[in-house]
Amino acid sequence: MFSDTLPKLLLEKYQEYGDKKVAMRRKDYGIWIEYTWKDYYEYTKYFSLGLIKMGLAVGDKVAILGENDPEWYWSALAAQCAKATCVGVFADSTPPEVEYIVRNSDTVFVVAEDQEQVDKILEIKDAVSRLKGVIYWDPKGMYSYQKDPFVIDFYHVVALGREYEKECRGFFEKNIEEGSPDDIGVICYTSGTTGSKPKGAMGSQKYLVAAGESWCAVDDWSSKDDYLSYLSPAWATEWELGLSSGLRSGATVCFPEKPETVQTDIREIGPKVVFYSARMWESLNSTIHARIANTIAPFRSIFHICLRIAFKVIDAQFQKKPVGILWRGLYKMSDLVLFRYLRDRIGLSNIKWAYTAGAGISPDILRFFHAIGVNLKQIYGLTEALMNSVHRDGDIKPESCGIALPGNEFKISGTGELLVKPPACFSGYYKDPENTKKQFDDEGWIKTGDAAYITSDKHVVILGRMKELVDLEDGNRFSPEFLETRLRFSPYIKDIMAFGEKGRGFVIGIVVIDYDNVGKWAEDNGINYTTFVDLSQKAQVSDLVLKEVARVNSVLPDWSRIKRYVVLHKEFDADEAELTRTRKLRRAFMVQKYHDLIDAMYTDAEEVAVEVPVTYRDGRKGLSKSVIKIREVSGV
Amino acid sequence: MGVKRQTDKGSEALLRLEDISLSFGGVTALKDLSLEIGGQGIFAVIGPNGAGKTSIFNVINGFYRSWKGRILFDGVDITQLKSAKIARLGVARTFQNIELYTGLTTVENLMAARHMLFKDTILEGAFYFGRTLKQEVIHRKVVEEIIDFLEMEDIRKVEVGLIPYGLRKRVELGRALAMEPKLLLLDEPMAGMNMEEKEDMARFVVDISEEKKIPVLLVEHEMDVVMDIADRVIALDFGRKIAEGPPEKIKTNEEVIKAYLGDEL
Repeated sequence: MFSDTLPKLLLEKYQEYGDKKVAMRRKDYGIWIEYTWKDYYEYTKYFSLGLIKMGLAVGDKVAILGENDPEWYWSALAAQCAKATCVGVFADSTPPEVEYIVRNSDTVFVVAEDQEQVDKILEIKDAVSRLKGVIYWDPKGMYSYQKDPFVIDFYHVVALGREYEKECRGFFEKNIEEGSPDDIGVICYTSGTTGSKPKGAMGSQKYLVAAGESWCAVDDWSSKDDYLSYLSPAWATEWELGLSSGLRSGATVCFPEKPETVQTDIREIGPKVVFYSARMWESLNSTIHARIANTIAPFRSIFHICLRIAFKVIDAQFQKKPVGILWRGLYKMSDLVLFRYLRDRIGLSNIKWAYTAGAGISPDILRFFHAIGVNLKQIYGLTEALMNSVHRDGDIKPESCGIALPGNEFKISGTGELLVKPPACFSGYYKDPENTKKQFDDEGWIKTGDAAYITSDKHVVILGRMKELVDLEDGNRFSPEFLETRLRFSPYIKDIMAFGEKGRGFVIGIVVIDYDNVGKWAEDNGINYTTFVDLSQKAQVSDLVLKEVARVNSVLPDWSRIKRYVVLHKEFDADEAELTRTRKLRRAFMVQKYHDLIDAMYTDAEEVAVEVPVTYRDGRKGLSKSVIKIREVSGV
Repeated sequence: MGVKRQTDKGSEALLRLEDISLSFGGVTALKDLSLEIGGQGIFAVIGPNGAGKTSIFNVINGFYRSWKGRILFDGVDITQLKSAKIARLGVARTFQNIELYTGLTTVENLMAARHMLFKDTILEGAFYFGRTLKQEVIHRKVVEEIIDFLEMEDIRKVEVGLIPYGLRKRVELGRALAMEPKLLLLDEPMAGMNMEEKEDMARFVVDISEEKKIPVLLVEHEMDVVMDIADRVIALDFGRKIAEGPPEKIKTNEEVIKAYLGDEL
C-alpha cells in the first residue's frame, strides 16, 4: 500500500533505498553533485526540526522563494513534516508581489535562495509583522548580512535541528506518522490571469498524493528515470511531477545549474522525462529553425527532405492510418541521418515522455517535435483540480489535450464551458470562501473557465478562455488564443496579441518580434539596425511578419483573419504586468494599456505615435515614446 | 622566488609609489608621483584624458620603467622587476582593451591564468599524468569558484570570441582573480558597457573588495560609479597628483573641477 502523505512517501523511499540510490542531482561549480535518498531524508528531517526549534508551530506557513534547487524540495517537505504548510513564490516576483503573498498567506518564515531574494524580504519585512525570519541557502554575497539575526543560513538551521534531535528522539518520525491526508500541504498562488490579485489555492496531502498516483498510472515512471526539474515549484505542476510523482516512483530529480544553462545541462543529463511550458517548446522550435536557416544550402535541403518524410509518417500515425513500409523505412533513415543528432543537440536523446501545459501549444509545434522523434504530450489541468487529461502514447491529436486521466470526468456546460470532476481537488482558496464557492457549480463540478469541446473519441479540445472568446458581428465566435498560438509557431514572432470585438468589423494583431532570430535574419540580409525599437520598425521586418500572418490567415475562416497589424517597439513584459509569471497574456490589462494603438488600427492611419509607461526592474517608472507603422494584410 | 624581501618597517601600505616620474620624449606622463594603497578598500584614479592614469598601471606592472623613485609592493622593491615576476608577487590587472585568448573558452582562459601556479614538469604535462592530473583538478575547482562568483556559468564553455563585449570584460576580471592576487588593478572596467552591465561590474568590484578582501586600484572615467564605490580617490592632471581623499571631498575640490572643466577665461 502506498503512503497517504508526501512525508510518509519520503520516509518509505528512505527505508527502501537509503544511501544506495541517488535521489537528486544538482550541478554546482560545473560538476553534478549527487544526493542519495538518505541525504534527501536527513536534510528534510533536520531542517524540519531546526524550524520547530526556531518556533515554527503546527499550521504555520513557510514561504519558499527561489529557483529550483534541492533546498527548495527539502524546505517544502520539512515544512510539511512539521505539520506546517508550504507556500511557493515565483523567483522573479517583484517585492510588492512577494509582500502580497507573504501577507495574505500569514507566512512566518521565508526560505529564500540568495542575496537577491533576501533583499526582497528585507525590503518588505516591516510591512509584514508576522514574519520571524528569512533563511537563505546560497551564501554568495551574504557576507554583509551576517550580523542581522533576522537572516539565517539554511545549513545553520540544519545544524540546529541536528542538535535538537538529541533532545527529542523520535519526535520527527512521530510528526510524520501523525500526518493526515487532510492536512493542507501547500498553497499555490494562481497566476491571476482572471482577477487582479492572485488567489491562494490550498492543496491537501490527499490532493498532492493523488497527483502522483494518477500520473504514474498513465506513464509508468520508474526509479531508473531521470526527471529535469525546471518548472517553478511555485506552480502546482512541479509539485505533481518532481515532488509527488518523484517521491512515488523514486525517479532521480535533476536540477540545472542556472535557468540560463538548462540547454547545456540537459544534454549532460539526457533525462527521460521533461516538462517545458508551451513557451519553452516554442522557443526551442524557433531556435532549431533559425539555426537550420543559417546553415549551408545542402544541409538545409536534407533537413527539409527528412522533415517532409517525417510529417508524412507522423500525420498518418496521428490519424491512425497505416503507414507503408517504404515510408517507414525512409523515416527510419531520416532518423539515422538527422533526427537522432538533432535530439541529442537539444538534450532529448533519451526522452521517453515530454510534456507541456499552461498556455496552449500550437499544433504545428507538437507535430514538429513528434516528427523529430520527441514524444511531446499535451496536458490539461488546473491548480484547483490537478491534472485532468493527457495524451496517451500512440493516441496523439495535435489540437487536443488528450483524454481524461483515470478517475476524472469531463462535461460541457450549457454555455460551452468545460467542467471537470477530479478524484481529488483543492481545498478552497485561503481565506476566501466566496471565490471558492464560485469555482464550483451546483452539482459540485469544478468550473474551468475554458471553452472546449469533446470529440467523439473523447479527446478534449480547448478553444480558449471563456472570458476571452469574442462574439463578432454575425454571431461568429473568435478565439484570440487560437490565432496567437498558431502565429507563435514562427521563429520570428515571439509574442502576439490578437484583438477583435463587436462593432469593430475585423481582427487586428499586435506582434512582438523575436529579437535574436529577427536580428540574425536582418544581419544575414544586410539590414542594419541599432536597437530593438529600430529593428522592429524596419519595412523588411514588417514584410517578414506579413508572410507569417498571411500563412496563418490562409487556414482560418474569413471572419477571424488578421486584417491590420503592428510590430510593437518593445517586448511584452511580466514586470509591467503585461504577462503573468507563467507568461500568459493579461488581455484585459493590455487592451486598456494599448487602447490608443488599438483605436488607431481601426482608422485609416498608416502610423501611430505611442506613449507607453514602462516600469523598470528596480521599480522606476518612465515613458517610452515611439512611432509605430500600421500594416494592412491585403486580400482580407 | 628569488626576490629579496626588504624589511621596510614603518610602512603599512601594501603598495607604495615614491617620487615616480615617467616621460616619453618631451611628454611627461608622470611627475614626482607618490601614493600609498592600504591593505583593503577600493582606490580610484581619476583624471582627464592623458592625465597619466594608465601610465601608473604600466609602471606598477613593469611595462614602463620609472627613471627615478621606487615602487614597493608588500615590502618588496619591484621598481626594476620584470612584469612576470611582479605578477607572481601578486599583482593582477585587467586591460582597457580586452586582452583575452579569443579562440579559447572562458574556462580555458581562466585556467591559463593559473598556469604559473601549476607545479609539474613538462613531461607530466605533455602526457597528462601524475601531478598534472591532480593539479588540473585543484585549479579547476578554483576557476569554477570564480565562475560562480562572477556568474559566468552560461558562458563557461563558450569561446571568448563569441561572447558579447560586456561579458568579455567580466572574463578578463575572472582571469585576474584566477591569479589569486594580493592587489587587483582594473583599467577602465566599465568602459563601453551599458547601464546594466556597469551596475553588475560595480557590484562585482565591491564584492571583490569586501568579500574576498582583495584591495582594488581602478582607473575609471565613469565618475558616478567611482564616486559611488571608491573608498579613496586620487585625482591626476598632467601626471601630477592634484588631490587625494574620500569621494565627497574630491567632488568639491576646486583643483579637480578646474582640471575637468578648464580655467575660466
